[in-house]
Amino acid sequence: MSEQTQRVFPKGPEKTYGLMELVKGTSPMVDKGPEDTVDSWPHLLTMEVLAILGTTVLLLFWSLLNAPLREFANPDVTENPAKAAWYFMNLQEMLLHMDPALAGIIIPGLMIIVLMVIPYFDISKEDVGIWFASKKGRAIAIWSAIYTSIWLIGLILFDEYIRVRSLVSEPAVLPGWIIPIAVMAGLSALLYVLIRRWRPTRREVLIGFFTAFVVTYFLLIISGLFFRGLGMHLTLPWDLPPGALSF
Amino acid sequence: MASKTSITRAITQNRVWQSVFRQGYPNTEENRAKVIMNTLFFHIHPVKVKTHSLKISYTWGMGVISAFLFAVLVATGAWLMFFYAPSVERAYNDIQALETAVTFGMLLRNMHRWAAHLMVLTVFLHMCRVFFTGGHKHPREFNWVIGVVLWVLTILLSYTGYLLPWDQLAYWAITVGTNIVGVTPLIGEQLRLLFLGAKEVGPEALVRFYALHIWIFPGLMIILIGVHFWRIRKDGGLSSPIESAEVQQGETK
Ligand code: HEM
Repeated sequence: MSEQTQRVFPKGPEKTYGLMELVKGTSPMVDKGPEDTVDSWPHLLTMEVLAILGTTVLLLFWSLLNAPLREFANPDVTENPAKAAWYFMNLQEMLLHMDPALAGIIIPGLMIIVLMVIPYFDISKEDVGIWFASKKGRAIAIWSAIYTSIWLIGLILFDEYIRVRSLVSEPAVLPGWIIPIAVMAGLSALLYVLIRRWRPTRREVLIGFFTAFVVTYFLLIISGLFFRGLGMHLTLPWDLPPGALSF
Repeated sequence: MASKTSITRAITQNRVWQSVFRQGYPNTEENRAKVIMNTLFFHIHPVKVKTHSLKISYTWGMGVISAFLFAVLVATGAWLMFFYAPSVERAYNDIQALETAVTFGMLLRNMHRWAAHLMVLTVFLHMCRVFFTGGHKHPREFNWVIGVVLWVLTILLSYTGYLLPWDQLAYWAITVGTNIVGVTPLIGEQLRLLFLGAKEVGPEALVRFYALHIWIFPGLMIILIGVHFWRIRKDGGLSSPIESAEVQQGETK
């Protein structure tokens, strides 16, 4: 043990034990002194019990509402609109605007892969444990949410009332594949260019894109579930035909 | 309160009680550590946790709530299984009977259904919280990957359950969904056939979705949640700003 360490951690003469060695390095709990940890019993367990009780109460009240049960399944009577479960309505909404293979398989498949590889590209450790990484990150997230919402709503309205397919229908790969891919790639590139104005770190750029993903995910569900009526045409929620809400 | 103490003593100071609970009431540092380590249901927790990870505004409890909802789903689902047979002749009637003739049948069905929807939501929100707080970064990369699989599994569980009541809602939702599977490039038709067991949604699909729903997907889910929790411990507990401070110290040295 070095002279200096001995000075900082002197061995008490009344103690039968002493500091043997100081080692450099990190292990999960190194440097986490007793001052920033507390006993799991009771601190963590109390919080867990509260979360469980809260959820139970919420669920019991919600269960005063009866789960749906419609008529016996009948392949000869098509539901109009025929909707998938609500958490797939974002995919079904995309189906209205592009080739089914692109909307239903390729994009969701790619999204899952992209999500899985995020941590292998988001490698800086500077802002771990901080919501949105920084003030700048928060601004980028808010801004990206607004940008995405405006474009999405605009595109949905455009494709309903002007219709890409009535402008260009031939050949089918144009409205089915090329135009949607070009729009998505173009809007992503534009988002990137706009985020660059903040001179962001890579982490903050990723925050911008993840926000765009989350907003798209929910907005498409909302539009597909609450704003699509007969023939999957845009309708206001209070004008929906009975049975258009697939919960 | 001498009488209370003596009652407590009578209950706890005997060999039966002490064979079940090996330590005294966890009001000392030592017993608090022991209760966590000695109890099967607690030992997945560390003895001590960072104060930072206890803040509600850090996790919003989304992971714990998702896990609890899964437990609710297993319990209520087991109850529903007593009264349900996955055949086209019986399924719909069984659900009707459950709602009208079985004690607490309607309540249990409602809880199962709404808990499933809620879980799809809380798992997604949990994923958002992890990303926006940087909880997916080194050394937690792989736990994030497991998480993405858990998210997909949660949706698949919910989706396979959707068919079981065999009503119009179920039938057309599954038809729409499996038609999408059918357009997968190259292997679409084969994939659709694998799920449905036939050209159209019918009795074969009901049996397959049932098997996936009550045992294959939940089994995978239990294993992966186990790995997920184990890795949280092995990755040093929850993420916190302490880690970024360590990095900065390391850089200045
Ligand atoms: C069935 C679904 C899931 C359950 C039951 C579950 C449960 C949990 C729990 C209880 C925690 C502790 C902290 C907290 O509550 O936030 C946690 C942390 C974590 N989860 Fe999940 N989770 C699930 C799905 C996911 C998903 C979908 C992801 C991401 C794609 C994910 C990634 C992570 C990561 C990386 C951590 C560590 C976070 C940190 O250290 O800050 N989990 N999970």
